[in-house]
Amino acid sequence: MEGMAVKHQITRSAELQSLAGFRELIDQACDQEPAFDDQTRYDLKLAVDEACSNIILHGYAAMDPGSIIVSIEIGQDAARVTITDFGHPFEPVEIEPPTREAGPEAILDDLGLFFIHESADLIDYQSSPAGNCLYLVKYLPKADHENPFQ
Amino acid sequence: MELISGQSNGVLVVTIQGSVDALTAGQVQGYFDDLLEKGERQIILDLSQVDFMSSAGLRVIMTVSKNLRQDGGELRLAAAQPPVEKMLKISGFTTILKSFASLDAALGSFQG
Repeated sequence: MEGMAVKHQITRSAELQSLAGFRELIDQACDQEPAFDDQTRYDLKLAVDEACSNIILHGYAAMDPGSIIVSIEIGQDAARVTITDFGHPFEPVEIEPPTREAGPEAILDDLGLFFIHESADLIDYQSSPAGNCLYLVKYLPKADHENPFQ
Repeated sequence: MELISGQSNGVLVVTIQGSVDALTAGQVQGYFDDLLEKGERQIILDLSQVDFMSSAGLRVIMTVSKNLRQDGGELRLAAAQPPVEKMLKISGFTTILKSFASLDAALGSFQG
């Protein structure tokens, strides 16, 4: 049906070996949407990869190995990704990301966070006893940009 | 992910095939550590077959470049795919690392 968003989702263990699977999910979703150009697709994969890497390396630190749920929903104007984990909360929207002007040496420690902010158009984060959810939005090229969270 | 290397006019060309992420970045680091131990100093990293790179990959490239410079050598980049080249530019890496559009151009830069 025209205009209906299509959703794809996978759950994988919070291990580095799962990163390729999360990127493959994004590829599969983007394959079904001709409006995604190569750069938009790559930006999505990069944001997801960086966020999941952070969860794997830090989110479950000193905890039993957990899982990560990645879902992507592609609508007419944007792709909306939700990354859910059950580890320690980490709020990328509250941490000031490094800027391009800081230079490569200065941003090296926060390079992953830098790329999440550079690659996603909107970022939101909610943490509750039920889990931590990172929401990423990437607009399709030339879409009208109303706030997709409302 | 695979790494292949070969000599061209005294310059070592290392080609990465596949994705460099938090899982595989350590393999790249170890590969270059071995090369430095063997005395390699002029190295081109051919990125033409890298379909994805995350910050983990860029950090390894930065570390390898620093280690080479400390020993009087240099790492230059070649033929990055457009999304990877964009990452190099927006992070400022291209201000400290030379990146060439083609392998031939990178090889030529060591001959001049």
